[in-house]
Amino acid sequence: MIVWNSACRSARLSTRPLTVRRCLSQRTLDRLTDPVQSYISTSRDPYLNLSIEHFLLQQSAPESVVLLLYVNRPSIIIGRNQNPWLEVNLALLDPSSHDQSYSEPPGLGAVDLVRRRSGGGTVFHDEGNVNWTVICPSKDFTRDQHAEMVVRALRDCGIDRARVNVRHDIVLDQGQHSLTIGSDDTHSTPYQTPEADARKPLKVSGSAYKLTRQRALHHGTCLLSSPNLNIIPHYLHSPAKPYMTARGVESVSSPVGNILLSNERFIASVQKQFGKLYRSIGDAQEVGDEWQEHDSVRKGCDELKSPEWTYLQTPQFSISNQSDTLTDVDLELSVRNGVISSGFCGTRKSGYSGAARTGLPAGLDGRRLHDISSWDDELGGSLPSVSHDRVTRLCKWLHMMLPPPIGRPNTHFR
Amino acid sequence: MATALSALRYAIRSRTINLHYTALLKSSQYRAFHVSRRVDVVKPFLLADIGEGITECQLIQWFVQPGARVEQFDKLCEVQSDKASVEITSPFDGVIKKLYYDPDDMAITGKPLVDIDIQSEISEEDEAKLAGGEGEASPADEGEAKMSSGQQEMEAQGGAEAGMAEAKEVKSDTPRLAARRPTSKSDHGTLATPAVRHLTKELDVNIGDVEGTGRDGRVLKEDVHRHVSLKSQKPETPEPSAKAPKTREDKRAPLTPVQSGMFKLMTRSLNIPHFLYTCAADVSALTALRKKLSGANKSTEQKLTHLPFIIKAVSLALQQHPLLNASLDTKDPKKPELVYKGAHNFGFGADTPHGLMVPVIRNVQDLSIVEIAVQLRELSEKARNNKLAPFDLRDATFTISNIGSVGGGVVAPVISEPQVAIVGIGRSKVVPAFDENEELVRKEELTLSWSADHRVVDGAECARCAERVRSMIEDPASMMVNMR
Repeated sequence: MIVWNSACRSARLSTRPLTVRRCLSQRTLDRLTDPVQSYISTSRDPYLNLSIEHFLLQQSAPESVVLLLYVNRPSIIIGRNQNPWLEVNLALLDPSSHDQSYSEPPGLGAVDLVRRRSGGGTVFHDEGNVNWTVICPSKDFTRDQHAEMVVRALRDCGIDRARVNVRHDIVLDQGQHSLTIGSDDTHSTPYQTPEADARKPLKVSGSAYKLTRQRALHHGTCLLSSPNLNIIPHYLHSPAKPYMTARGVESVSSPVGNILLSNERFIASVQKQFGKLYRSIGDAQEVGDEWQEHDSVRKGCDELKSPEWTYLQTPQFSISNQSDTLTDVDLELSVRNGVISSGFCGTRKSGYSGAARTGLPAGLDGRRLHDISSWDDELGGSLPSVSHDRVTRLCKWLHMMLPPPIGRPNTHFR
Repeated sequence: MATALSALRYAIRSRTINLHYTALLKSSQYRAFHVSRRVDVVKPFLLADIGEGITECQLIQWFVQPGARVEQFDKLCEVQSDKASVEITSPFDGVIKKLYYDPDDMAITGKPLVDIDIQSEISEEDEAKLAGGEGEASPADEGEAKMSSGQQEMEAQGGAEAGMAEAKEVKSDTPRLAARRPTSKSDHGTLATPAVRHLTKELDVNIGDVEGTGRDGRVLKEDVHRHVSLKSQKPETPEPSAKAPKTREDKRAPLTPVQSGMFKLMTRSLNIPHFLYTCAADVSALTALRKKLSGANKSTEQKLTHLPFIIKAVSLALQQHPLLNASLDTKDPKKPELVYKGAHNFGFGADTPHGLMVPVIRNVQDLSIVEIAVQLRELSEKARNNKLAPFDLRDATFTISNIGSVGGGVVAPVISEPQVAIVGIGRSKVVPAFDENEELVRKEELTLSWSADHRVVDGAECARCAERVRSMIEDPASMMVNMR
């Protein structure tokens, strides 16, 4: 008997174990082939939720349609090809790192920074925002159809100001109710005002897409009851923006507002509209932390968490302080794939630069920008011709524009 | 389970690679018999249209390098355009020879993306994805979805959502006088001490609105108080009527892809000396004929507007006046050439939520009026849903603008290079007129406005064509005797 057991165990160990610990249950995998699938996540982890979404995109049957709904803890999600230094106030992400005398801490605790795999701009997620994802075959895909589905879900809950705009976002019109325009059209409401800038509609949902050969993924946010609307602008306004020239997609900012609907009501309504659209009555399956066990989900999570993915996927940009009249040492850095590739440094002579320029300080060339935790350390010794005060000021400027990311030790400037 | 599947897939894949090798060896020894065409040459693979009339997108990353062997459906690269990130896969088996872009470069739709040494049989439609002889012209040169001028514009307007709140309070349903946010703020604009922030909350003011006069642009208490007193002087008009003069702010916006395309095309059209020739046609007979036909056919699909009739009439007239269907080639400014086009490919303006698009009905000379109507309907539908392919937008030889669906009498339409003429159709209206017995009758009049390129078309030629079209419209029966 004992011999039999140990023989079995060694046999099991020698091949890849196929227990639940390494793989999702067979039932879950079978469900990936169902023509209509509906999932809801119990996890608040943005890395996990995005990885589950990506897993569903890659593994669900090519002709199937999938709905996934999830809510994230406070986090900032940037688009696939965006620049975190340009889009986000990185200094605010770690509340212990910023200097309290300059700005009031928003009090949100640590906020994650995540680069997603779909395109588009930067969004702020928190528990008052529900994210919806629909994955469908590429050939049936249009950019509006699922936004229209969500608008119908909102209208079912009594939100009749909601409509899809030309950018495929969902907005709430702010005008007075006009009895002459009444429609079932998801692209117009009775509250639209014809004048251009009287009461802009408030954006409540933005969309992004990822298109592969066979599958199209459309996901969007939905601001239901975020308590953080006032604070979001601080996070999404980078002090470095005026000084940067960058390639890549910039975010388009719009006034936002809360719909004021509970998460549960919204989720139920979207699931119902999805079921109606695809003629299916099935229940939504819960997904959550147990999916971390699955190899490809975990690998996806790890990739999303890695600084290489978050920072080195940044398209080329350069930052220059020449337009800032308060600094007197010119600095320009070009950053390619998150790595400092070239630049120069020099003192300004009576408002006109060019007289005393040197190349990049030696320690900076080829450095990953997110690895730099203290500008003082980097530049301190490498500008001998420049006075210590000026160097300190320059470093302070750099620290404000390109702060070290979360989790890195940094030195403060007083 | 998943691992077993992937192991199986790997085994199959390695076997197919072996098969390829043997096939290559065989072909070098003797000619094989193939039903479909076999291509053993390096060809450029073009970047296909990814929708939305987008003509440029940014290359994010390559999944292959020159020398890499790819199979059909292997990923080549990922590109990004405003909100969509798209994976481009290879339609063929083969070897990658050359990459045309570096990461972060803007890749242009319809231009080569990679050079691929094709080692599989390819179908007709796959051939279309390759370049012909010289580099393919941008797919929609005749239509409206054009290359945007400069990547700066493309990237600037390509951005998508952001959670940036623009000075609005949390409750979205309390109508507020829109707080006018200054368009350019200094970085330090939201600096303020906690005491000042508390004051702004108390007074229900958004700190972003207040202009700071303190050090580094900080907002001080006096600034907040001053802002409040200024605000209270502004008239509180919930109705956006013109009674109370409000300071209206300018709004800058980069051009949308459709607008950029239009900008570029119309800038080129500035070189064309246009002349305008208008004539009014009596469409009473046409309207009567349409009513009769619609009455006979109960289904709404068969309902005909006057546009298909006019399109057919123009096509018939162009057979007698082929100059107006020609294409002006000014590649060599010293030796301009006219290319008299065999096919009548008519572009027609379609008003979509994204702007003006010009889908093309091909070979109008071979289509009946009903078939033209069907094409119009299908293409308009596609345009509205943004489903137009580059193929639908190019190769137009003549354009018809039916601005009359919106309104207008006499219009002066703009010719799209390299065409030499265009006709704009106004809105039909009922007018009083005199008949041959000098009695007052009711007439329905429609104005046709012809623009032509005076470098190659003279007024008389255009006028003759226009009059021919007019007589055919006024007497639809005369169209019938000329139709093939």
